[in-house]
Formats: sequence, structure tokens, C-alpha cells
Amino acid sequence: MKRMIAAILLIAVAAVGGFAQEKVTLTVMNYQQADQAGYPEDVKIWQDFQAANPDITLNIEVLFNDPYHQKLQAYAAAGTMPDVFYVWPGARSAVIHEKKLAKDLNQLLGAAYLKDFSASATNPANQLGGYMAMLPQSFTYTSVMYVNTKLLADNGFKPPKTYADLKKMVPKLKAKGIAVAMLPNKDAWPMQSCLFSTVVGRMAGDDFLDAILAGKAKFTDKPFVAALEVIQNLYKDGILSREDVQIGYGEAAGMFASGKAAIYIDGDWRAGAYITDKASGKALISPAAQDKDFALMPFPAIPGEKNRGVVSAVAGTGWAVSASLPAGSAKEKAATRLIQYLYSNDVQAIRFNTGAYVPTRKGVKADVEPLVAKVPVFYAENPATCYVIDGVLDPAVYNVINDGLIAIGLGTKTAAQVAAETQAAFESWKASK
Amino acid sequence: MPNRNRLHGEEGRAYWSMVLPAFSIYLLVMAFPIVLSIVLSVSNYSGGKMFGGEPWGFAGLKSYARVFSDPLFWNALKNNFYIVLLSVFGQLPLGFIFAYIIYRRLVKWPGFWQGVLYVPNIISVIVVGLLWQTIFSPNGPIAEVMNDLARAGFQSRLEALFASVGGFNVDDGLVSKILDMAGPAALDWFSDPVPELKELILSYEGAPLSELIGDLCNLFVPRWSPEFLSKPNIAMLPVLFVILWMYTGMYLILFLANMQKIDSQVIEAARIDGASEGQVMRYVILPALSGTIVNSAILAISGSLSSFSLIFAMTGGGPSRVTEILSIYMYNNAFLGRPNLPLANAISLVMVVISFILIGLTKMAEKRYGGKEE
Repeated sequence: MKRMIAAILLIAVAAVGGFAQEKVTLTVMNYQQADQAGYPEDVKIWQDFQAANPDITLNIEVLFNDPYHQKLQAYAAAGTMPDVFYVWPGARSAVIHEKKLAKDLNQLLGAAYLKDFSASATNPANQLGGYMAMLPQSFTYTSVMYVNTKLLADNGFKPPKTYADLKKMVPKLKAKGIAVAMLPNKDAWPMQSCLFSTVVGRMAGDDFLDAILAGKAKFTDKPFVAALEVIQNLYKDGILSREDVQIGYGEAAGMFASGKAAIYIDGDWRAGAYITDKASGKALISPAAQDKDFALMPFPAIPGEKNRGVVSAVAGTGWAVSASLPAGSAKEKAATRLIQYLYSNDVQAIRFNTGAYVPTRKGVKADVEPLVAKVPVFYAENPATCYVIDGVLDPAVYNVINDGLIAIGLGTKTAAQVAAETQAAFESWKASK
Repeated sequence: MPNRNRLHGEEGRAYWSMVLPAFSIYLLVMAFPIVLSIVLSVSNYSGGKMFGGEPWGFAGLKSYARVFSDPLFWNALKNNFYIVLLSVFGQLPLGFIFAYIIYRRLVKWPGFWQGVLYVPNIISVIVVGLLWQTIFSPNGPIAEVMNDLARAGFQSRLEALFASVGGFNVDDGLVSKILDMAGPAALDWFSDPVPELKELILSYEGAPLSELIGDLCNLFVPRWSPEFLSKPNIAMLPVLFVILWMYTGMYLILFLANMQKIDSQVIEAARIDGASEGQVMRYVILPALSGTIVNSAILAISGSLSSFSLIFAMTGGGPSRVTEILSIYMYNNAFLGRPNLPLANAISLVMVVISFILIGLTKMAEKRYGGKEE
């Protein structure tokens, strides 16, 4: 009997010892800012994972904007990449993709898991390194017109369908102290990302940019110059104000909400800025007004456009796992569990609900406010997309375009000058490769 | 420092035990980064693991060639020289004059003025940058004043125009005159200016004339915007003004502290001998402070070349990179878009070389023209 009890105890001890999991610590770099909408929800997302996974300890470093990229760059140089980190699919995270510092999520997560995501998200061709270094959480339309339909109606206008419609609004709206459209461009990237990419898509097309990259066309060719001239005319015709060039990206959303402009041009992600902040209970635009007084539209038809109605879009940001984690290790398993949690239906529903983005995960349902609900409708109504310039060109080239668009806004350079400078920058970049 | 021959045995061990920790820290945090910076500037390192990762090697002086062939570098260098010139020939003389005025009590409440002039120095640079950015913004106080002035002028001209036609008597002639007042840029807002504006004005029939005039002001009065910031030749003026405003107080304190070391009997003797205030400053104070002036000039030069945060907060080097200085140019190459660390390191080393040259010139000037500090 004693022997039997001893044997049972021995087996029990062995079983407990065998099943007790070793505690794994994961280093994580999260991209977040405390004053951004959705921050409290983000904190809770991490706390919930920690509570549900006591065998994993998360060491989370939170940074935002340039400091995030600089730190990630420093980690890459030191060879001490965090285990899980936030990453861009294109040139913004070039080192990660080109040096293959992230694991191939196609292999790590497997086809069975990835089938729940849209094809655009799981297409490796949408990422700089040509492999799935990260899983885009969203597929972002970078050019959306937020239209205050009530303001337009009060002044006798309907939402614009053509460039001429926009121009027709200028005298009357200006007389009432209202800007027709607003696109803050002090930070240099918004014009390129949120409008010019779409204009290039319309006037020249993706084929043209491909031809430039292949050395078969030039930025000084007519279609690209014509696209720059459209931007030039927007300022000249009074549709955009030259003061917009001096307005910071963060300042404009509030100005639009307070009726200073009838149209606000930004990416789809900006819908989140107008909805109710869960912490304060306040919204820049009340849900009722979002529903009946505001619409999301593509930029109107431009005279001479080749590709009617296309809108610039790009794979969005997402999470990556460090390539340095040994295959099959406890750390790799823990990182996989974390990634699967971050892309789970529940977490993606929270993100959708905060207006951060429309998830690439299929079938995510959330009780979103009207303006955010209009984003997927906008996608459905505008299926034809084109490149976002900073997604296909090198920073050495697109930074020149960004600066040139500011100069056009200020009226200090012509479209032809900016085109020539861009071509020179492109040739210099090609020569340095 | 102990004699090298005596550095053996216990004395040598004691010497090294005291020097080595500090020397090691110096090597690690000062010498190593400098050497690494030189190495990177002539390398083809393209990111990723620096040691033990993908191999990288010697690329020659390619990065330096690229720096010197980049117009943005020359623009940044030019802007830096403006700051150096302003610092050496603006902040130092002003700081010296203010210090002299306060030291000689040529104004009432010298302590108050000393405090007022020094206050900008104790405010965070970022706060100062954002403060002046707001002041110069299209929605800032300067814009508001300028817009009000422009509006008032346009409004009175419109009122006179309507009065001359006896009120709301709209015809093509009146409309043309309004368009003339608005200037050629306004013509672009209309497809057919005269009939369209006429139609707009007629839509106000029955409304008070003041409403129409107010709306025409909204339409035609150009809103003030710091567009001068976009002109390469004058874009730096507001930045230079802020730098002058911010740092002059620091030199005032430096000069004042050193003036207070001068024997007051020497000054009194000069005054009894009939020297004017100007002569006291020129022949007594200035030579006595030549060393301080040189040290201040070195501080000003090195500070000017390495300045970053104020301009980064105020303009970020924009618009369209016209207010970029070398440190922001380096930062943009190191961190904006695809990082180019060899190029960024080459820029930083060029900055170091320029600093050495300017400091060498300052030292030479002191040797040539300076007096001896008491």
C-alpha cells in the first residue's frame, strides 16, 4: 500500500513538474501615444493579455512617431531587436524588410490562420522585402474627402462630383469665411499621401510610376507634370488656401469640425479623430451629426484624368516577430500566441470600435460610430485603387516631392520645377544604388 | 601629472587605479563613438546589425562627395553661418553692451533688467520654439493684427465705393472696380469673373449693405500668412530674431560676472582722468575681458553649429527645408525615411571640422587683437 501511495505521489509530482510551464519574457515595442484616441483601450488590450497569460511576462516599451523609428533603428544596429514590434510594410521600416529582421509570418502563423484575413493583407508583394515580415492590420485608403454636407447645403451646394463643382463653391464659401477644402501640409507628407498620390493615380497611373522605376519614363514627362499642375491649380483657384501650408497636421481636424472648411482631405484613419473619446465622453462631431451631416467621398473627377475615380491605398501597419527568436523555442511560441491575440477578433473589434482602422481580419463586427461605419462603405464604393507615392518610391525621391508640394503651395516653385527636381533626385538615388 | 619615470610600484598602481575608471568611461562614451562615427562615414553600412550581422566595408569618401554635391547641405551651411554671425556679432556685442550698462548702473533698476534679459534663457527651448511658432502661425496674434488691419483698409475702400454709387446699385462697372481692388489673384477664383461676382453680389439684395461688405472682405482680403518664411533669402530672419532674443541674456551674465572682477579703482581713476563712459568701455573694460570674449565666442560658435532643438521646434527646418541647419539636415538623413547613417556621420564630421576652423580663427583673432585679462 505504502509503495502504491509513493508511486502515485511520484507520478503526480512528475506530472506537475512536466506540465508546469517555464515563464517566458517577451520584449515588445508598442507604437502608441497617450493623448491619442484609443489609448485607454490599448492599455487594456495589453493588460488583458497579461492577465490571461501568466506564463508570459511582457516588457513593453511604448514610443510614438520619430522616436519609435529611431529606437527601432538603434535596436537593429545593436542586433538586439525586440521580440515583437510594430512595423510599416514599406520604406518607413526599410531596414526590417531588407535585412530580414522579422520572421516570415506566412510560415509562423500558417495558411489556416491567415485565411481569415483579406488577400491584400496576406499578399507578400505588398511588403518591401517581398515576404510577409508583418501582417497589415488594415488596408488603408490614404485619400478621403470628409464632406460637411450640411454646410454645403446651407450655402446651396451639393457634394462635388467634378473639379468644376469645387471651383464653383469658391466665391460663395469664401465670402462666408469658409474654406472650400482644407489639407494641412506643414508636416510635408499629408499632401503627397492624402491627395497627390490619388491625383498621380488619376492623371498618370500606376503603370507610369512602374515605368519610371524601370527607367522607361521620367518625372518630367507630361502626366506627372500635369498631376503637379492639378495641385498648383487647387491653390491658384482658391479651393485650397495657401495658409494650409503653415498648418500642422494635428491642428486641422478641429478646424474642420468647427466649420472652418466644407471639405477636409485626409486618410481614412482620420475618422477616428471625430468620434467620441471614451475617456472624456466628448466628440469633435456628435454621432448624430456624423450620421446625417457628414459624408466620405473620393476626390472629384479631374479634367484630363486617365484613370477615373481611383483612390490611393496601401497596406497598413502591423506586428512583426523578431527573426532572432530560435525556431520552435518557448519564446517563439509565446510571441506567436501574442500575435494571434493581437489579431484576434476581439482585439480587432476594439481597434475598429475606436476608429483606428477597418481591420483586414474578415468578419470583425463592432458597434462603431456613424463616421467610422462609413469607411468600409467608402471602400466598397471605390474599389479601384492606386499607389501611394511614399509606398513605392524611395524616401530620397519622395521627400523631394513632399518639399516640392509645399513650394507649390507657397507659390515659390512651378510644377515643372518640382518635376525636374524630382527627376534629378531619382537619378541621383539610382546612381547611388 | 606625475613624472613618467616615477610611475611604477605602488605609486603607479595608485595613479592608474584612479585614472583608469574615468579614462575607460571616456573611451567608451566619448572616444569610441567619435571613432565609430569616422568609420561609419566612410563605410557602406546600410542598417541592420552593426557587428556580427551582414558584412559592411569601406566605401571611400562617397558620403562626403554626396554631402558636398547636395544643394541642401549648402543651404543648411549658409543658415548655420547666419546663426554663427548673429551669435558672434549680435549676441556678444549686445550682451556686452547690456552688461556694461547694468554694471555701470546707467539704467534704473539694473537687477530688474538683468532678470528680464536673462529670463528667455531659463525657459525650455522647446517651449520657446513652440511659443514663437504660434506667434508666427497663420492663426497667431501677428496674423490676427495684420488681418484686422488689411480688412479695415479694404472695408473702408468698399464703403466709399458703394457710397459713391449711392448704395446697392450694382452694375458691371462697380463689379469691375471691386475686382480691381481685389487684385489679379482673385480673378482665378471665377470662371467668368464679372458676371459671376455680379450674381453673387445681387444675391445679397434686400440684406443690409454691411453684410455684403463684410462678406466681400471675407472673400477678397488676403489672409496674412508668414509667407516670407518660404523665401530662401529671408526665411531665417524670424529664427535669427528668436535666437538673438533667447541667448543674449546668457552672454550678458557671463560678461557681467567678469566685469564685477575688475578693480573698480581702475575705472574710477580713468573717470577722474577725464575718460568718458565710451572710453572706459573701450580702453579699460574691453581689453580686460578679451579672454572672456574669446571664450564666449567659442561658446557661441560651437553652440550655433550644434543648435538643433529651437529651430526643430519652431520650423522643423521647413517650410520646404529653407530653414534647415546642419544638425537638422543630419537628423533628416539619419532618421527621416530610409536612414543613411554613413551620410549622417559624414555631415556630423563636417560640422566638427567647421567648428575647429572657426574656433581656430577666433583664437587667432584674440592673439592678434586681444588684450591680457587681469
